[in-house]
Amino acid sequence: MTSQFAVWNLSWVQRRKLTGLLFVLPTVAFVTVFFIVPLLMTVFMSFHDWPLFGERAFTGLANYSELGKDRQYLKSLDFTFRYTLLVTPPIFLLGFILASLVRRNIRFIGIFRTIFFLPVVIGLGVSSLLWVWMLDDRIGVFNKILLDLNLVTKAQLFLGRPNTAMNVIILSVVWKTVGFTMILLLAGLQAIPDELYESAEVDGAGYFRKLFYITLPLMRRFIALALILSVIGSVLSFDQFYIMTRGGPRNSTISIVYWIFNNSFTYFKMGYGSAMSIVLLGILVALTGAQFYVLRERE
Amino acid sequence: MSFRKTLFIVLAIVICLGALPAAAQDEPIQMSMWVRSIPFQTQELVDQWNANNDSQIELTVVPSGEFVTKMGAAIAAGEPPDIASIDLIYTPAFAAAGQLVDITDFVRELPYADSLTPAHMELGMYEGRNYAVPTGVDGSFIVYNIDLFEQAGLDPDNPPSTWDGMLEAARAINDLGDDTYGYWFSMNCAGCNAFTFLPFIWASGGDVLSDDYTEATIASDPIVAEALAFYNTIWEEALVPEGASIDNGSNFVSAFGAGNIGMAGTGNFAISGYTNDFPDLNFGVFHIPGKEGGAASFGGGDVIAIPSGTEHVEEAWRFIEWTMSDEAQIEIYAANGQIPVRLELVDNPYFEGDDRQLTAASALAVGHTPYTTVYNDLFNDPNGPWLEMLQIAILDGDIDGAIELGQERFTQIMEG
Repeated sequence: MTSQFAVWNLSWVQRRKLTGLLFVLPTVAFVTVFFIVPLLMTVFMSFHDWPLFGERAFTGLANYSELGKDRQYLKSLDFTFRYTLLVTPPIFLLGFILASLVRRNIRFIGIFRTIFFLPVVIGLGVSSLLWVWMLDDRIGVFNKILLDLNLVTKAQLFLGRPNTAMNVIILSVVWKTVGFTMILLLAGLQAIPDELYESAEVDGAGYFRKLFYITLPLMRRFIALALILSVIGSVLSFDQFYIMTRGGPRNSTISIVYWIFNNSFTYFKMGYGSAMSIVLLGILVALTGAQFYVLRERE
Repeated sequence: MSFRKTLFIVLAIVICLGALPAAAQDEPIQMSMWVRSIPFQTQELVDQWNANNDSQIELTVVPSGEFVTKMGAAIAAGEPPDIASIDLIYTPAFAAAGQLVDITDFVRELPYADSLTPAHMELGMYEGRNYAVPTGVDGSFIVYNIDLFEQAGLDPDNPPSTWDGMLEAARAINDLGDDTYGYWFSMNCAGCNAFTFLPFIWASGGDVLSDDYTEATIASDPIVAEALAFYNTIWEEALVPEGASIDNGSNFVSAFGAGNIGMAGTGNFAISGYTNDFPDLNFGVFHIPGKEGGAASFGGGDVIAIPSGTEHVEEAWRFIEWTMSDEAQIEIYAANGQIPVRLELVDNPYFEGDDRQLTAASALAVGHTPYTTVYNDLFNDPNGPWLEMLQIAILDGDIDGAIELGQERFTQIMEG
């Protein structure tokens, strides 16, 4: 036996180290297969003219220099960041208000938490389709309500006008994701001991004083987590634009991931799509780093 | 485990694996076939084939808008179908990428090769070799509601033959009532408008691409701007329902069927649909006119091809050849109101006396189809330059801006 398996010859410390390695191995394998290998492949592909089928050729940095000339790429970057800037504040404001409302453990509060959280469990694709029908000009419930209240004289084509399409998509995404932010912020709120508020009240602090000097500073980590998840989600958004507007009207709602998808799978330019993905990854890393820096613990 | 024992087991496995194909040889051949979601008679063809042959075909219907993406992904994954019915405009792209089986030798054997619809045969060629044959042919034309024409005091026996004539007819029908409109277009559907709007330009002697398909002529050909202005007038004067501006093609056929639309661009596939689903609809068809007259049509439809990588080339061709036989062309195609792919079979008992079918079939004589490997990127992509140009010109009224943008983006795509 001893000669066949070298592990039996190891010392106790060495064996402990090996056990530790075995424990992290599944994670390492998972990350390697599903993140590191695809990432390296994407980097490799981005230096090639790589059609979905047919001959591929090494082109060096040509895909990257092409990016600056791609009008739609720049338009999509601009659109994606405008969308992120517009969608994030309402999610946070509403998420915080909802979290404050459902904070206390009173009777039936679970029902309200469930109601507010419910849209999160629906897939984004399903919720987007739901909103497409609710916003429809002939059978949609929104137009029915607006017409019955005499707020409009004829049915509105919400998704067909550039100025309203973005707004109604933001509305649908806030509805869909606010519950998740609410849960994260609720956890933060509940982690704050009541004694702090009580002593502040004894000192005569009002609602806003308590909010700015106790609640928000102590929730820093939870806010940072929620903010980073929300911003990454918005920058990577695709489904809602693909389903609700197909990038229209007049190509005004093509997000950056949508444009990557189009180039890779509709125009079959996988190499170019890879180059865009790598640039987007760089932007996201920088953005997340900046958020971590701003929201870091200062102790 | 001893070495000898291991060797024995390995050998046993190898022998078993080797025996499998031998055992499978008696099984009938199973083939997969893909078709885009368009109401040609493909299902009926496959059913008839499966009922009368040992080899069996499994048909998968892929949404039209996703066909190229899915087909590309299947090819890249090494799992293409054995037979594919492809929108003819995509054939050059697939053939150029070496993804279709060269069927030139099979085609040469066909006694009726010369009578197969020329537009489809041309699109099925790449560098002088055949890669596809027609399977569903369809020219675009205009349907008009005879009852509405009569109510509006128009002569249904003399439908319009110029753009001005169409505008006058549309205005007269619009005046019939609040919910009655002169025209219909699906202005959020790229492919619908390549099919029904391009012929207005062609019939006037213009084009958006040069004769050799290497350059965009959107800015240099004045007819393009005039055609855009013609459709812009239709929109500005509300001769179409407002919802037409956002229709992604789901109402492309059905809108006219509702009976409150005077005219609409469509194709042969719609005729049997109107006859079956809207029996009360009294309609006629006329060719898509040029500005001052003339006629043109988009030679559309599907070709059938054998993707590279299949093991059943012979059997797949046997099926394809059968779909072009007299039996299939008359008893399945013509009997269901579908134009035969062999033009000499247009004179058949089922089409006799039906002016609509004969007009539709004659549209193929003036049919034209752009030959370019980037057709999808130029025209059919919902985010492509064609639809964006149309929307900016027709719905926003900015014709100059639209033409400048269209010319630039067309050129960019064509230069690769």
